[in-house]
Amino acid sequence: MENNNPLSPHIQIYKWHISSLVSIVTRITGIINILAITLICFWFTFLLLGENNYQIIKLFLNSFFGKFIALGITWSFSFQVLSEIRHLIMDLGYGFEIKTTNITGIIVIIFSFILTILIYSLGRQFL
Amino acid sequence: MVQINLPENSKVKKGHYYKDKTGSKNIRKINVYRWDPSSGENPRIDTYEVDMDNCPSKVLDVLNKIKNEIDPSLSYRKSCAHGVCGSCAMNMDGKNGLACTTSHADINGDIDIFPLPHLKVKKDLIGDLDGLYKQYESIEPWLKNNSKDKNDEIYQSQKDREKLDGAYECIMCACCSTSCPSYWWNGDKYLGPAVLLQAYRWIIDSRDEDRKERLEKVADELKLYRCHTILNCTNACPKGLNPAKAIAEIKKMLATT
Repeated sequence: MENNNPLSPHIQIYKWHISSLVSIVTRITGIINILAITLICFWFTFLLLGENNYQIIKLFLNSFFGKFIALGITWSFSFQVLSEIRHLIMDLGYGFEIKTTNITGIIVIIFSFILTILIYSLGRQFL
Repeated sequence: MVQINLPENSKVKKGHYYKDKTGSKNIRKINVYRWDPSSGENPRIDTYEVDMDNCPSKVLDVLNKIKNEIDPSLSYRKSCAHGVCGSCAMNMDGKNGLACTTSHADINGDIDIFPLPHLKVKKDLIGDLDGLYKQYESIEPWLKNNSKDKNDEIYQSQKDREKLDGAYECIMCACCSTSCPSYWWNGDKYLGPAVLLQAYRWIIDSRDEDRKERLEKVADELKLYRCHTILNCTNACPKGLNPAKAIAEIKKMLATT
């Protein structure tokens, strides 16, 4: 017999905390990174097709929207890398105390922005 | 499967409002999830104004007060009222815990009380835990030792006994499992933190001779590896245990043996 009783509310009511936030953002940035890598592959393919295309891409990346995309991808990548390092440490069985997870979670969030600025400004040097 | 929205029959509606009749100046609003199986209606949120001057310190006391003085139709599970039995597990202020050990003073603003998340509701704050108990049975939570005679004592060193600390204290209140998003989406296959902590408890028991079989049984893409270290479980556990670490230890054992 099928149970027609209602399902109690779940994600609608459950409070977020640092670890769950980092976890969901890791998933989202993972998906963004796959799209970003695809985009970069297209970019390289374009480059192979001639110099004109290079100018178009350069124009795009220097526009406000292009810079926003570049920064976004850099942040997404930074967050993913840092979060996965946190995961690697956890896979070794360390850092599971609530206090430690909160600290490492905050470190991931803050350093993702610092790493973004570092990578982006370093990249700008070569332009 | 990930299903963010609640099914149509589970959408929560606004319910009754019970105004305070005591004339107290120290009033708190308590929002409680209600569902009556005989009504055929959707669940609703009833709001009670409770006189906090004459109410003991825990959320369970608030519920008792509502049931005794305002609305006797309210249903919830309770037994020991001392954080030992695990009956009064529910979602308070967006976090799972035992109503009998959660102080209402620690909650800011109105107190929202829901049943444990993502369970079939039986009535009001009572969720259906049959699935979880079946999964618990599936890991065979008893000592397996065939080499010794039934009358022989099985010795365990103090050091081996200490390994069980942090695992044997579990009261199976289901706060952790029902806080886990992975368990929400794959609760039919993923064992969930509560059951995996118990699986771990029997795997590391030095007296148990079934370690290898237990590990093989739990080593499954869905049963074990749906844990993505979201850590809702460890944050929810009212006994201060760490199911996430136990799951990580099982994964480690599987990777190294």
